[in-house]
Amino acid sequence: MAQHQHINPVPNDTSVIIVGSGFGGLGMGMRLKQRGQDDFVILERAQDVGGAWRDNDYPGVACDVPSHLYSFSFLPNPDWSRVYSPGGEIHEYLRHCARVSGLFPHIHFGAEMLAARWDDSSRLWTVETPLGHWRAPYLITAAGVLADAHLPAVPGLEGFAGSAFHSARWDHSVDLQGKRIGVVGSGASAIQIVPEMAKLASELVVFQRSAPYIIPRLDRHYTEAERRLFARDPAAIDELRSEIFWFGEYAFAQRRAIPAFLEEARVMALGHLKDQVPDDTLRAKLTPDYELGCKRVLISSNYYPTLTLDNVTLETSALANVDGGRAVAASGQAYDLDILVFATGFEVTQPPFATRIFGRDGTSLADRWKQGMRACNSTAVSGFPNLFVIVGPNTGLGHHTMVYIIEAQIDYILGALDYARESGTSVLEVRKEAEADYVQRLRERSQGTVWLEGGCKSWYLDPGSGDLTVLWPDFAYAFRDENAAFVPEAYFSPAEA
Amino acid sequence: MGAQETSSYVAQIVSGDQAAVPAAVPVTPKTVDVNGTRVTYHVQGERNLDHDPVVLIHGTSGTTQGHFGFLFPMLAVRHKVISPDFALPVDLAGNLTLEHMEEQVLAVLADAAPGQKVTLVGYSLGAAIAAFIAARHPERISNLVLLAGWIKTDTQQFLFNHVWRTLRDLDDPAINEFTIFGAFGAPFLATKTLAEMARGAMPLDRLVDLQMDLNLRVDLTDLVPAIKARTLVIACTYDQMVPRHHSKALFGAIEDARYSEVAAGHAVVFERPAEVFRLIDNFAARPDAYPAGSIIPAVKP
Repeated sequence: MAQHQHINPVPNDTSVIIVGSGFGGLGMGMRLKQRGQDDFVILERAQDVGGAWRDNDYPGVACDVPSHLYSFSFLPNPDWSRVYSPGGEIHEYLRHCARVSGLFPHIHFGAEMLAARWDDSSRLWTVETPLGHWRAPYLITAAGVLADAHLPAVPGLEGFAGSAFHSARWDHSVDLQGKRIGVVGSGASAIQIVPEMAKLASELVVFQRSAPYIIPRLDRHYTEAERRLFARDPAAIDELRSEIFWFGEYAFAQRRAIPAFLEEARVMALGHLKDQVPDDTLRAKLTPDYELGCKRVLISSNYYPTLTLDNVTLETSALANVDGGRAVAASGQAYDLDILVFATGFEVTQPPFATRIFGRDGTSLADRWKQGMRACNSTAVSGFPNLFVIVGPNTGLGHHTMVYIIEAQIDYILGALDYARESGTSVLEVRKEAEADYVQRLRERSQGTVWLEGGCKSWYLDPGSGDLTVLWPDFAYAFRDENAAFVPEAYFSPAEA
Repeated sequence: MGAQETSSYVAQIVSGDQAAVPAAVPVTPKTVDVNGTRVTYHVQGERNLDHDPVVLIHGTSGTTQGHFGFLFPMLAVRHKVISPDFALPVDLAGNLTLEHMEEQVLAVLADAAPGQKVTLVGYSLGAAIAAFIAARHPERISNLVLLAGWIKTDTQQFLFNHVWRTLRDLDDPAINEFTIFGAFGAPFLATKTLAEMARGAMPLDRLVDLQMDLNLRVDLTDLVPAIKARTLVIACTYDQMVPRHHSKALFGAIEDARYSEVAAGHAVVFERPAEVFRLIDNFAARPDAYPAGSIIPAVKP
């Protein structure tokens, strides 16, 4: 704490501190504004809003959820250009949200949360940042789940002769034209990057540890007439959102491992592979060896065709080490490369932000989560009074849109703030038993899903406990049905607090 | 993603194409004997004892697999679910009646849930059967779900049924298109191609002929007021086979009824299966969540 006090010894007092300005943080701020609350700040470590959509500006970035649903219900956008919008358009939408909602005066850029501490005597959170301290009764983290880049430890990488960077930290100063490029990974980012790299590279090598299931991407432009209708008749957007939402929910039957629906999806994915990759040898390399849905099911119509090109090589093992300008795969195969792109995902199960939050007894959230992330209603953590975590434990979806989950969490938090005001309590601390009951119910509900039974190693599972801590193990609608309403009974009463 | 998946689901399941899609329901169904007629039924989720068992009653031309391919296995994750496949009664003299269907349901209940109260879910003609049973055997039915059901066949339904009958008698292949046209909601069809829907026709056989004839003769006017079960009426906004005014009539006629609407056609179990699942699952688990007379709002994502 001491090392930053010289910057600003006097904390800035406010009512609510929000950390992060992606969908979660902006949505929270927008709803506070709508209710006429102006006394809050949003702390953002970067220099712009947008979260994952600001960081991930790699070539080919786009969303896997149709845009009309992947946007706030309280600020729909009639102007989406496509069914699946490019990432830049989503980033621009989030800037638009911040602008029209009047959030920019609340946002402090470059204000990375270095530490957040609860003080029991003052009943306040203090957040330390390079710009100074902020102090408030409530702390809402929306630090994101796909926020901190995961880089595998690759021996020799520091001596790599060429350029290497992570997909979410793209180095746009590097000239890719005619270069020998390696893409490490074959997940959601990689399959969008690879087709773009193949257009530029003299040679392209894709390092694939395990093959993903991929289904066709039925994308198209919205016509001007459609966009004008959406602008003129908001009910048309509502109807489309419902249609997309329930189509998406249908896919949960696959994740629930109902054989007929798994088979149907497998037939579609493997049929897509067969249609696009006629060569038996290549197709065998691209055929997954685990159950569909165990890892994220990807959506692409241009990834497989890219792998059939003459300048593209599919290496079916991990990048093992780097020796000067050579990238050596676990198989022993070596490739001379100029560029290495790490499309290797994010720190999800043990998020770095949790190491910086300290609760009632000084314990860090990361320590509390050593055996896996856990929170009551996926939002409140025992021992951490007046803290609410947006996109925390068991909030991810293997089949649907995160924005729906975020809006439910915002409803919960607003309910909590209302309750505190109406009941006159200044401390909201969830009971440990309520948290344990909730977590236990989720663990039971996770049994029998493809995430646990699908025979794969995924970032949905906590590596320590093996529990499903990242995903919500049910229909998306059930998250809102069960978790959008604040339940005072789960909390210590004002008299106990 | 969803759109493509749903279309193949519709094509495969509506057509009852068993080769194209493996059974979503258990491979080893049970049977009961009903006066010499073997009636097949499916049961799953026997260990789920938190709530009354859920009994699914399919509609015209349906089976458990055909109409409840999504609902049956998904409900079985949390409930004990029982679902008969109606059989053509042996030695049937004259018309098929609601009594025949009632007899089969009661025989299955006696076998699969003896002495237990159940949540009875009927879809289309199955809703008429379910309402009939709920009125006549209130001691067996704690909760009732009427999905796309009706009280008394009206002129609009006669017109549809007569055209269907005419095409059937002519053995005209246009009966398939006519059925698809009637069964699926216009907004759903707007998202599909003709080729995608080509396999979406309902199977035809003697039992279907008899069921279509029974559809003409449904009149529960005097029985429906006797229904005492907690009831959820679900209407389909774009239903052309059983338009939603029928569900509203049920909502008014049944004392302990609540109402909800799904933005789909009559083929709601194919168009919006997850939305129907939500309504049934929530109601079966907490039937008192909404008091009688409530209109349950749709999810607004």
